[in-house]
Amino acid sequence: MSARAPHVAAAGAEEILSVRGLTVAFAGSEGAEHVAVKDFSLTIGAGEFVGVMGEPGCGKSTAAIAMMGLVRPPGRIVSGEVHYLGRDLLAMSDAELDAIRGKDIGLIVQSPRTSLHPMLTVGRQIENVYRAHNRVSRRAAHARAIEMLQLVGINDPERRVKSYPHELSTGMTQRVLIAMAMSSGPKLLIADEPTSGLDVTIQAQFLDQMWEAANRTGSAVLVVTQDLGIVANYCDRVVIMEHGEIVEASAVRDFFAAPAHDYSRRILSLQRESAASVAGAPETERAAAEPLILVEGLSKDFDIRGSKDKVHAADDVSFLIHRGEAIGLVGESGSGKTTVGRCIVRLEEPTRGTVRYRDEMVSDLTQREFTPFRNDMQIVFQDPTDSMNPRWSVEQVLTEPLDLHTTLSAAEKRKRVTTLMRMVGIDPAVREVKPRQLGAGRQQRIAIARALATEPAFIVLDEPTSALSPETRAEIIELLIRLSRELDIAYLFISHDLTTIERVCDRVVVMYLGQVVETGTRAEVFRAPLHPYSRVLLASHLFPDIADRRVDRPERVTLKGEIPSPVSLPEGCYLYGRCPNQVERCRAMPQALEEVSAGRSVRCWRAVAGELPG
Amino acid sequence: MIGRFVLRRLGIAVLQLLGVALAVFFLIRLLPADPVARLVGLNASEEAYAQAERTLGLDRPVVDQLLSFLGLSSDRGADGLADGSLGLSWVTGDPVFLEIGRFLPVTLELVTLALLISFLIAIPLGMASATRPGGIADRIAFVWGLFAGAQPDYWWGLLFVFLFFFILGIAPPPLGRIDPLLIEPSVITGFLTVDSLLQGRLDTFVSALHHLMLPILTQVFVVSGAITKMVRQNMIRALQSDYILYARCCGLSRRAVGRYALRAALTPAVTLVGIFYGVLLSAAVTVELVFSLGGIGEYAIRSILSFDYPAIQGVVLIVALVSLLIYLLLDIIHAYLDPRVKY
Ligand SMILES: Nc1ncnc2c1ncn2[C@@H]1O[C@H](COP(=O)(O)OP(=O)(O)OP(=O)(O)O)[C@@H](O)[C@H]1O
Ligand code: SF4
Ligand SMILES: [Mg+2]
Repeated sequence: MSARAPHVAAAGAEEILSVRGLTVAFAGSEGAEHVAVKDFSLTIGAGEFVGVMGEPGCGKSTAAIAMMGLVRPPGRIVSGEVHYLGRDLLAMSDAELDAIRGKDIGLIVQSPRTSLHPMLTVGRQIENVYRAHNRVSRRAAHARAIEMLQLVGINDPERRVKSYPHELSTGMTQRVLIAMAMSSGPKLLIADEPTSGLDVTIQAQFLDQMWEAANRTGSAVLVVTQDLGIVANYCDRVVIMEHGEIVEASAVRDFFAAPAHDYSRRILSLQRESAASVAGAPETERAAAEPLILVEGLSKDFDIRGSKDKVHAADDVSFLIHRGEAIGLVGESGSGKTTVGRCIVRLEEPTRGTVRYRDEMVSDLTQREFTPFRNDMQIVFQDPTDSMNPRWSVEQVLTEPLDLHTTLSAAEKRKRVTTLMRMVGIDPAVREVKPRQLGAGRQQRIAIARALATEPAFIVLDEPTSALSPETRAEIIELLIRLSRELDIAYLFISHDLTTIERVCDRVVVMYLGQVVETGTRAEVFRAPLHPYSRVLLASHLFPDIADRRVDRPERVTLKGEIPSPVSLPEGCYLYGRCPNQVERCRAMPQALEEVSAGRSVRCWRAVAGELPG
Repeated sequence: MIGRFVLRRLGIAVLQLLGVALAVFFLIRLLPADPVARLVGLNASEEAYAQAERTLGLDRPVVDQLLSFLGLSSDRGADGLADGSLGLSWVTGDPVFLEIGRFLPVTLELVTLALLISFLIAIPLGMASATRPGGIADRIAFVWGLFAGAQPDYWWGLLFVFLFFFILGIAPPPLGRIDPLLIEPSVITGFLTVDSLLQGRLDTFVSALHHLMLPILTQVFVVSGAITKMVRQNMIRALQSDYILYARCCGLSRRAVGRYALRAALTPAVTLVGIFYGVLLSAAVTVELVFSLGGIGEYAIRSILSFDYPAIQGVVLIVALVSLLIYLLLDIIHAYLDPRVKY
């Protein structure tokens, strides 16, 4: 065994999978081969939860499917052995392999959407896999498909089995894959970023289930992830890859205590820096600051085509943003965060309610009257590629808002573009380049620069870091913090990533099903959440803290089921049915947002009455 | 929902046909031809000429002619589109619609059967060559594609006649649709094979197929190379997709994975069937001539050579109608097979 590829030994337990010297290569141009995975060796024992981490493109996914003897064309397995319970998978016949794949070894891949057949219902696809491994009737397989969808927390599984993949959200297709991979009760689950599209509550439920199955039945899990939180909270061991090779393999506590490799040290220090700066940041005193934006009673209903029903995306939302303040808006997907952000900058017309900007009731203005205010109120989206004309150069992208909103001369515009690019840390030399040729991180910087072009006082940031790798994400966050300080800009920072919110925001607004359920300062909400929903959200969030692992907690709170449909809303408290603290009275009693102290309010009568356990 | 889609498409088709009708009406009148002279002969007296011109209606202003062609003018009875007769042929004096009704089924029978058989050959061959690139099937398909495209279809037709009729003697002489000694079944649909079956006439059924053998072989030979290539390409694309990889990761058998891929490969191909149908339809013109089948191609050529305006207009319109209907049918099938298609 080479010294560069340390062999990870299973901790004594019965060995399930043992990979030795696995090497995978892709045929490149001109006959040259590109080695994507090199001399990969790893052993997984019964009951183990092993994490694989590494930069994008380091070969994690390729290694994951190569362990099942498969490679994406035009690749091939050059050499190596993969022993499953002592038998070499790579030396088996197709029929023998088929009997193991999907039954004994389940796989969840990274791209759920393209991994489902686009012309078959998801139910049919789960059935086909289940029937390939179990001698059951179509009808029994159908029942199993429904049961599995229910298990992964999909609402209304009887209806969803009949959906086609394109009719489901990415998070839901992800869960369909989980259902498929788990349907035959595998002994080993290989999961490639299985939760990247999921809400924290669902993610925690799924990982809890995996962890419990591993402990109870002695099955094993290999999870590929970019998320230190998952590694810290669930994994027993972790393997770090770089350029197709394993460069570090250690028990998870050793990894956090004394990372051996450069990459490990880098990501850990990034994370520590951000944690330290959160702890060290002074609680900003905002009482003196002047109010900038006041949202009151904002509601937004969307019509459903061909139906009289409406989607209640936002329901009586109120909050205040001061000058230069960063407000975090958190909640599950579908809770209405984006709608609120878009209503404030008038990309959406609110159904009811008002938005005041300084002294102007901007929600009463017509679109034309609102135009001058667009200088002051900007928005940045999750995916920068969607919002930029692909044929434009960086310079054109950044000049456009100047053309629209200013009367600068051409020379002044050029100067301004240079300043903007410097401001977001991009070399002005790339001004002629098309944004798409730059990486995701630099594209997002350009999107931010474009928002800054008109010197706004307020920016809505809609999941600006969710599509980025951990390192790029950390950089963008630093940039946003610096800009807000230097330019005194207020943010509405929308994200489901609580680590990021904690890093950036002064105050936090928690939304559930279109309603604000809690507001408070960062410290208040993160250290002592009042509303049961905020509590579950925080408990489900995987902070990369090895001292407080979720799996070590005596009780792991989760929400049951899925966020209800915003079409037919519950009668009383919206959380009723999923709330761990509910009592009978909550069922029919509508909840109002009540102020418990200055700037701190909560929408739960039990929390207001102090009935909830501390 | 599909009903509304079909209605809308039919509405559009009517407009398209109207456009085609106008185009063909004016285009043939722009030709430097004199249909009257062709009809009465160059030596006819001036009176006879004027008489004929009046009978054909060519003495009237173009707008009048157009109106009666569209069936909107009241002075002439069986002359218009609106009553469905498509006018009377200047050569035979019969309604064009009935004449086309005699010729068109011959062609449709040939083309439909040829297309069916082509697909029956091309799908397995394309699949086999996609699953084993460089294998025997792949090489056969490749060579065939090169070969078949190298010569025009009538050339292959003549070669097949030479080989199978003159030398081997297993094909009938290339003279018509059926053994001349047999009594043809009475016309119901105009498709000889179908009519024979409907009337329980096994003898004419077999004879019709026997006579179709070489024309079909010719068409299949020429077109299935291209279809195989298309199936192969779609299949290769499907086999490289994430969902096939994932299906294999889930342990689906080779056959099940093959079915997944085939479903994905053939669905987009449905819309291409229309194009191949068009290719075969135009190839049918020469193939019919080689085998003296008497199809719509022959009718069209005859009409053009005799400047039979109503017949030319009729043929163009009917062929346009047939292709529009085929495209509509294929779109419906496609929407049914692919849930992502919105209509
Ligand atoms: N189909 C393919 N053809 C050619 N090269 C490929 C193919 N798939 C992957 N590679 C190469 O193999 C290497 C490893 O890719 P892989 O997808 O396994 O990385 P990864 O670590 O999973 O990345 P990510 O974090 O983005 O998921 C990369 O250099 C990639 O370019
Ligand atoms: S009102 Fe009742 S159901 Fe609603 S959050 Fe409070 S305790 Fe839970
Ligand atoms: Mg990957």
